[in-house]
Amino acid sequence: MTVNAQPTKAMRLAAAAGGAYRRVFAASRIAPLLSRPQPVRRTGFDLDLSILDRREEAEDVVSLVLGDADGRPLPSWVPGAHVDLFLPSGRQRQYSLCGDPADRRAYRVAVRRIPGGEGGSAEVHGLRVGDSVRVRGPRNAFSLVEAGSYLFVAGGIGITPILPMVREADRRGRLWRLVYLGRSRASLPFLRELAHYDSAAVDVRTDDVTGRPDLAGILPLARPGAAVYLCGPPALTDGAWRMLRDLDPSASLHTERFSPLPVVGGGPFRIRLARSGITVDVAGDETALAAVRRALPGVAYSCRQGFCGTCKTRVLDGRVEHRDRTLTARERQDAMLLCVSRASGSLVLDL
Amino acid sequence: MFRLFRLPRIGRSPVVDARGARRYTEQAHAIAARDVHFSWEGVPMHYIPGEPMATHIINVMHLVLPEGERAMSKALAEALPLITDERLREEVVGFIGQESTHASSHEGAREHLATLGLDVEPIARKMDWLVDRVLGEHGLTGRARHAWLCERLGLFAAMEHYTAVVGEWLLEADHLERKGMHPTMLDLVRWHGAEEVEHRNVAFDAFMHVDGGYARRVRTSLLASFTLATLFLTTARYLYRTDPTPGARRWWVTELLSATRRGVIPKATIFLTEIPKYLRPSFHPSQLGPMDTALRYLARSPAVGTA
Repeated sequence: MTVNAQPTKAMRLAAAAGGAYRRVFAASRIAPLLSRPQPVRRTGFDLDLSILDRREEAEDVVSLVLGDADGRPLPSWVPGAHVDLFLPSGRQRQYSLCGDPADRRAYRVAVRRIPGGEGGSAEVHGLRVGDSVRVRGPRNAFSLVEAGSYLFVAGGIGITPILPMVREADRRGRLWRLVYLGRSRASLPFLRELAHYDSAAVDVRTDDVTGRPDLAGILPLARPGAAVYLCGPPALTDGAWRMLRDLDPSASLHTERFSPLPVVGGGPFRIRLARSGITVDVAGDETALAAVRRALPGVAYSCRQGFCGTCKTRVLDGRVEHRDRTLTARERQDAMLLCVSRASGSLVLDL
Repeated sequence: MFRLFRLPRIGRSPVVDARGARRYTEQAHAIAARDVHFSWEGVPMHYIPGEPMATHIINVMHLVLPEGERAMSKALAEALPLITDERLREEVVGFIGQESTHASSHEGAREHLATLGLDVEPIARKMDWLVDRVLGEHGLTGRARHAWLCERLGLFAAMEHYTAVVGEWLLEADHLERKGMHPTMLDLVRWHGAEEVEHRNVAFDAFMHVDGGYARRVRTSLLASFTLATLFLTTARYLYRTDPTPGARRWWVTELLSATRRGVIPKATIFLTEIPKYLRPSFHPSQLGPMDTALRYLARSPAVGTA
């Protein structure tokens, strides 16, 4: 009893009912009377805080304690949370909270100065007690979840989100172990705070003593069904999921997910938006999406990393340099993802 | 003195308590799409062995949800310029991407089932037609267009309540594992369920931010409940009756009731029992219980991990 794709009687009825509903509740003169708006608006995602304290924690690492100048309580957070700092230059940088979640009056961040970096870390190091900073958050992409036991692995400054996790796991009386990796002890912040815990649970390994770390020798320390929290450079975290899966499928691997990477190896090009009749210029260091959004703020997008497919757009003319990870060869013939793909000449899009 | 006891007045502009009652007092949970991969090779037609009805109930998700999820993403993208709260904006942007990956992953499953001989294309095309007819804009402009956007946001907020409730059920449903459900399919529905739990507040908060009217919330929740119940029951019935696998079969209603009793599918009565919960004026999706099971699943899911 194969049914063809023609709408059935029931479907036509549903469509007619939908049309009547739309006429009454959206288009009719009485529609506003049937639906009085009562919007809920919230504030407090952006906070203007002051620097209450500043300390040198290790070689090139400074911690800052931020709080409300009038002592108002700050939004609560669970270990793994981070905040955005808006630096005086206009840069916006994300740093994990490494203080105590029970302290509702203060947020602490710790930042390593990266020589030759873009300058965000040097700017944070230049902040002084009493300076005011705009903070956005906290936001959590690395939540500490309830588990029977934990294995924490931190590489260098990757200790910042892990430190409150250690405190919380210990407070809850869970079995936990921390493997803390770095170049040398002098480069590792918060060793003194970690000295409060059972020395068998805090396992510090430095390159100058034990050589380069190997995750294959660390993950087997996880107890069956443990939650493994891993924070460090990509060289440390790559391949961890598969390794842990082979050791124990009931364990879970938690890593922090990062924002999109900046555009690399891109040249400028031009896009004509056929339906809107607008032409936009895409700079070499921005995405087509960023340029199109200047002209059309309502254009749909999401992951900005070329996999979710939300910003897929029909290409009417021009040669696309596809950089996405999701479109099939057939889709690529007449579509592109605005968030990552580019062109060297010019494009005409159905927007 | 009496001001304290005054009822909220309907139809007034934004509820912002001068004393800061509407300030965020808790961290945001970052919502972002995950780059997932599923390999459908070797997944059989009855991927829950011996449970054709439960299999087809899940098939409805592959058939009906993708089109609905696209329509929802579209409505939320349209609402973005109206959202002035940066935190909610971030959540909506992440939500849209999660919904996009849900839609395309279920479509992958649907294409695989079609190669096995399940008659899925007609239903998918019908859903397309219906979603466009019922939810499209049909040339509305100005105030009516805005009202229709609010109406759709209300509908999707109510539907997302069900996906969060079912998502929670899927994460807890050990019977699916014990019944030998194919691991890839189990991972698909659990990953989907976990992200539904993770982003459960977003559509609701977007509706409350843009409109938030209580009459609209009541009306859209009733309509959403009725629509989802009808879609699930009629589509599952159709799939069950057109299933090409040979053999004698019981009446679909008997089979449905028995599958519910054995706990392999959620109770259809949720489409009634959840309504009063959702309509409680103080309701917020964050009251639906801890998110830890969902986050732990996402940290274990093969589809997420192998990406």
